[in-house]
Amino acid sequence: MFRNQILSTLRHGLGYCTKYPLTVALRLVQGFCVAHLFNEYVGGFRLVQGPSMMPTFSPNPEMRGDLVVAVSPRDPRALVCKRIIGLPGDVVCVDPTGEYAPSTEHVYVPKGHLWLMGDNASWSRDSRTYGPVPMALIRGIIVARVSRRPHV
Amino acid sequence: MSFRRFTFHTSKNRGKWLSALLWVPVGLVFTKCGYTVMAVRGTSMQPTLNPEPLIRRDIAVFDRYSVSSLHDVRRGDIVAFKSPGNANELLVKRVLALEGDVVQTLPPYPDKEVTIPAGHSWVEGDESFRTFDSNRFGPIPLGLVDSKVMFILWPLNRFGWLSSTTGGEKISSQGSPWRKGHAEVERERWRSSRVTVKSKLD
Repeated sequence: MFRNQILSTLRHGLGYCTKYPLTVALRLVQGFCVAHLFNEYVGGFRLVQGPSMMPTFSPNPEMRGDLVVAVSPRDPRALVCKRIIGLPGDVVCVDPTGEYAPSTEHVYVPKGHLWLMGDNASWSRDSRTYGPVPMALIRGIIVARVSRRPHV
Repeated sequence: MSFRRFTFHTSKNRGKWLSALLWVPVGLVFTKCGYTVMAVRGTSMQPTLNPEPLIRRDIAVFDRYSVSSLHDVRRGDIVAFKSPGNANELLVKRVLALEGDVVQTLPPYPDKEVTIPAGHSWVEGDESFRTFDSNRFGPIPLGLVDSKVMFILWPLNRFGWLSSTTGGEKISSQGSPWRKGHAEVERERWRSSRVTVKSKLD
């Protein structure tokens, strides 16, 4: 009976589509816009790939230790996923591993910026190379992992 | 429960309201991803924008489509970008240099010469004395760029496409329009003399 109901709804829907194609197209455009706004300003799904966050995966806005998705400072088309190490006003060690800078060098994170680092320090291009990242580039905080691809 | 009754034929008035409401997200997406209208505050882009800031503010159409979708930012474009120090503030400046270019900086900047890193640009105000630009905060990531100024709506005497607002007037060999045009060319020459564009061979 339930199945019949679905079928009849579908049939009605199809009939509607053929009868008023323009209205249906407009509704699709509107639906797309709603979905886009939600994805852009509320939350959405992103595929995370690359080795820079290899060993791992808080709803409070911007805390040290949060994982964030940001527009890459080196390429406006790319998104990167990193961990927040320093907030504005913090003094951070540029590179504890001593790879890019002597491990004694410390910098002050300026107002409106964050210090980001990948967890896999030996395979990550992050604030150690491009310096503090403006908060305006942050697109969101990672809240949960939905799925993991088996072979990356 | 039929599809038709469920969506539109509950009550005539309510259906009307609902379908009007559904256009709101379409408008929002158009302004966020397409074109938007904003007023420009401040004097740092004089004389290109806000030449008479005490009397009136310029209102312009900003093109977000070619920045966010086409990633088309060129030297000489006037762009609105999020201030690197404050994510809620938009600044309007001119792009002087893109990645790989070498710029001769102006006083507040610590180094004499800068090579622009990958994905960054150098932005400056046209009025170089009163401006908060790359000479203070350094090269900015292109990801901060929000839109390009495309068309001036207000004041009406400068209504038109941005590129034609300075070159569009008929320029005779003397008088104030000629002097204005001449000053514009001089400024442009001075700006480009400070930038060494990365050659395509490298």
